[in-house]
Amino acid sequence: MISATDLLADIADALAAVLPEQRWFAGKGRPVHGVIPVRATDLAGAEPRLVHAVVEVDQGEQHRDRYQFLLGVRSDLPDILGHAWVAACGDQAVYQAIHDPELTAVLLDLMAQGTTVEGLRFAVEPGVTLDTEQRSRPVGAEQSNTSLVYGQTYILKLFRKVAAGRSPDLELHRALASLGCKHIAAPLGSIEGALESVPVTYGMLTEYLRNAADGWAMATASVRDLLAANLLVEGAPGPVEQADPADVGGDFASEAHRLGQAVATVHTDLATALGSAPAPAGYLDAVADDMHRRLDGVLAQVPELSPHEDALRAAFDAVRGLEGPVPVQRVHGDLHLGQVLRSVTGWVLIDFEGEPMVPLATRVAPTSTLRDVAGMLRSFDYAANYLPLGDDDPEQRAAVALAWTTRNQDAFCDGYAQAAPDPRKHAVLLHAFELDKAVYEVGYEHSNRPLWLPIPLAAITRLTTTSP
Amino acid sequence: MKGAPHTGEAMLPDGHLVEPQAGDYEHAKAAPTDPHWYKRAVFYEVLVRAFHDHDGNGAGDLAGLTRKLDYLEWLGIDCLWLPPFYASPLRDGGYDISDFRAVLPEFGTVEDFVVLLDEAHKRGIRVITDLVMNHTSDQHPWFQESRRDPEGPYGDFYVWNDKDTGYPDARVIFVDTETSNWTYDPVRRQFYWHRFFSHQPDLNYDNFEVGEAMLDVLRFWLDLGIDGFRLDAVPYLFEEEGTNCENLPRTHEFLKRCRKVIDDEYPGRVLLAEANQWPADVVEYFGDPAAGGDEAHMAFHFPLMPRIFMAVRRESRFPISEILAQTPPIPSGAQWGIFLRNHDELTLEMVTDEERDYMYSEYVKDPRMRANIGIRRRLAPLLDNDRNQLELFTALLLSLPGSPVLYYGDEIGMGDNIWLGDRDSVRTPMQWTPDRNAGFSSCDPGRIYLPVIMDPVYGYQAVNVEAQSTSSQSLLNWTRRMIQVRHQHSAFGLGDFSELSSSNPSVLAYRRSHVSNHDAGDDLVICVNNLSRFPQPVELDLGEHAGGVPVELTGGVHFPPIGELPYLLTLPGHGFYWFQIVPPNTGREP
Ligand SMILES: Nc1ncnc2c1ncn2[C@@H]1O[C@H](COP(=O)(O)OP(=O)(O)OP(=O)(O)O)[C@@H](O)[C@H]1O
Repeated sequence: MISATDLLADIADALAAVLPEQRWFAGKGRPVHGVIPVRATDLAGAEPRLVHAVVEVDQGEQHRDRYQFLLGVRSDLPDILGHAWVAACGDQAVYQAIHDPELTAVLLDLMAQGTTVEGLRFAVEPGVTLDTEQRSRPVGAEQSNTSLVYGQTYILKLFRKVAAGRSPDLELHRALASLGCKHIAAPLGSIEGALESVPVTYGMLTEYLRNAADGWAMATASVRDLLAANLLVEGAPGPVEQADPADVGGDFASEAHRLGQAVATVHTDLATALGSAPAPAGYLDAVADDMHRRLDGVLAQVPELSPHEDALRAAFDAVRGLEGPVPVQRVHGDLHLGQVLRSVTGWVLIDFEGEPMVPLATRVAPTSTLRDVAGMLRSFDYAANYLPLGDDDPEQRAAVALAWTTRNQDAFCDGYAQAAPDPRKHAVLLHAFELDKAVYEVGYEHSNRPLWLPIPLAAITRLTTTSP
Repeated sequence: MKGAPHTGEAMLPDGHLVEPQAGDYEHAKAAPTDPHWYKRAVFYEVLVRAFHDHDGNGAGDLAGLTRKLDYLEWLGIDCLWLPPFYASPLRDGGYDISDFRAVLPEFGTVEDFVVLLDEAHKRGIRVITDLVMNHTSDQHPWFQESRRDPEGPYGDFYVWNDKDTGYPDARVIFVDTETSNWTYDPVRRQFYWHRFFSHQPDLNYDNFEVGEAMLDVLRFWLDLGIDGFRLDAVPYLFEEEGTNCENLPRTHEFLKRCRKVIDDEYPGRVLLAEANQWPADVVEYFGDPAAGGDEAHMAFHFPLMPRIFMAVRRESRFPISEILAQTPPIPSGAQWGIFLRNHDELTLEMVTDEERDYMYSEYVKDPRMRANIGIRRRLAPLLDNDRNQLELFTALLLSLPGSPVLYYGDEIGMGDNIWLGDRDSVRTPMQWTPDRNAGFSSCDPGRIYLPVIMDPVYGYQAVNVEAQSTSSQSLLNWTRRMIQVRHQHSAFGLGDFSELSSSNPSVLAYRRSHVSNHDAGDDLVICVNNLSRFPQPVELDLGEHAGGVPVELTGGVHFPPIGELPYLLTLPGHGFYWFQIVPPNTGREP
């Protein structure tokens, strides 16, 4: 039998070919010059065989990222796995094993047994016993990693891009679980290892919240209901009175309130578990510098932003002179309505990886919790404006959206204030984080979804004309 | 009560009152035996006064109800639930009973009741009624004797005391009308204990004889052929210093005594406990799970109803998912009763702190939601007479775990008359025909006990049984068809419940599955409900049933077989599907 290392070397070119089609591939748009094997390990059997592989993708000097693959090898690939085919190796078929429940079951077994294979450490969290009978399927969602759902019980997130250093997702889940935090999916197991003596995280197994819906779906259902109520009044003869979001059936405020409480509880628990301290000297300047830098970049691309430049810079500079201690701690880092799940027991935060595309050292640096709060506040604004309904009268549409946003942002902050200090007490910093986020959104929408550009632009107009 | 047999018509030399005996009457033929009938049954709450007036005096009566049994059989009803029809001064809607062994003369006689039972049983319909065990009316001869003669056989039937300071930890329930649970009786010159109104003294269950007397009341009606009782206000039977006098262990002991009488002497009859509490506390009233339950057979699931209204209003399944997730398993012989409308109200006292916050934020601040919990409105007006929502709510009622209880008139979408005040607005006469008095009574319209509904939308000319029974599109025929479908599938009554996950927060999907001892009886039903007014897609993980074919239950249409991938369905606004899952290559036409 050909060794795992040779097998990987054999199919490296084929991997280069399939890479650009993978949802999770972060280097889309840049040519792939080659795929260099980093390591390959046999995890199971001969027929079918399971190989764990790490490769480095060469996309030029600046862009050499590492990715993880699970490869299946069979002499006879069944039709239903045809779509997972990668390459032929001798008379055998090599395919992506995440689609093969027979092979993914091995991962659960290895975790349950606590096995280490050539430096790959499979383990369960303390006190956990796994039911290894569960079969997996990949989640359907658009994702930057690959998650497998076992039965309706566990979800295994395989980190695609292999970063040097332990994943904050795993680290923060463990920290929160140690305090019994109710607002996360309980961590159950992990796959870890090391590359060039630096720890890396390959996978994290958590409890699967079987009947959850994400915050975005919940919030947009509420907005849809409000818009429909307004479409009714719009057509009515006589004076038009805008429907109050508090009066319509789909009101989201009490959910937003509970969500605020959940986020604040997670913040408090993170501070308890991993510490909180007054910001070191220079923190606020660094924050402001960072915001200016981002603004410079976006201004260069998006002319529509220039009328706001002065106001934005003033808001960012206001941060520099803030009096009094600003506490910093570990935070979620990329919080929005798509990162929270409503389960039958309440709100749960997922995906503690932090801001995408940012180096690990920055992602794990302590910062203000207001960053997360600002992310959530911006997300409410997006949810309110996202649905292309009621566009006949853009002014009315905007007014309805604003009413919804204001009500739910307030409810979120009220809820937050029940479990941690009220974020609105630090209006200048919160405001600057919101604007910074909106500037980022302007850049993103400009290059990806120009139709949505008006959402962050309108928010910037609004936020810079109402002083904190 | 002159002319009719009644309690206290004579007195024995030892001071005991002579009470009517079941042997004085004809007995109804028993209903067919089926020990778990109450799990499959569709119940129908009917107010005798409101259903049909046979003697033409303006108020409905037992004989009138008997004449409408054909209709109820046609509709598919298995069991009638009658609120109290006993002799009563009617200061608390008949829950103030002045003679457990006599019928309120306005409704008829014990003989009329036996005829009703007999005719119902002939049609396969059972009958249960309310029995208030905690207290009596102050007009009851037991109480009159008790206050008159403290040393006589009834002297210790009620809770008397020289002082009004006992049991200070028991809350006053009707805070609007009562200031204390003790009231002074000038005749006996002592205070008596009452958890509800001061005209309803509590019976003293510490006195063994009281329990025996109440068991004899049960036997009286069971001997006549009644199929069971809804036991009213059970948590309050016993008192004990230093407790809140609710749900005491001795109360449970007494219920076990009642259950034993049923099991030993009247197998197949049922007890339904009225304990307006949180499901986790109510399950105590089913008794010992190891014995399959040895107290009540059934209890109402109170919080489900407001949660259904909340979920549809919020277009979110979570209010329902949460409460079902918090509902503990029940003993194998037990069953929930569930309802959309009934004359009982959910109150905030019954919930936990956390739940009170939840109910408060979701419910109490929203005036529309508040109206839902109350007893003031009927289903159709609550849902703006929206046919899609009426169907969705009814489908939920008929498919969620528990035995459904319909409220009379909701099957035709009757309206309410809010000008009649809290209780009476939903107690107007049943609307049978477009004729005078809605076909309810031949009396002069001025003499009718409550005016029939006459508004253009819900009035009897537009909404009545006669018109709807001849229209295939009517709500009545639709409801009847759904009840038929329910009867064809044991999963609804006997099956397990498990929610199916989906990422769409507006879609509530669940599986009902009944595995019987013999293979042919296995039944698996999937219910998918769109709680939103907008069309919605949903992807269900039905992997467990891969290869199976969903067959829609109302039309028998075969849907595409279930594969490895999530099963995609689209639902119209407020739409729902019921599917049976059949193995591949079965159930198809040859
Ligand atoms: N514990 C869980 N229970 C149920 N569903 C979950 C759970 N964790 C994640 N999911 C679902 O899986 C999807 C992907 O999860 P997650 O955000 O952790 O992955 P990701 O690859 O980091 O995503 P992103 O592309 O946002 O970076 C989520 O959108 C969520 O719907």
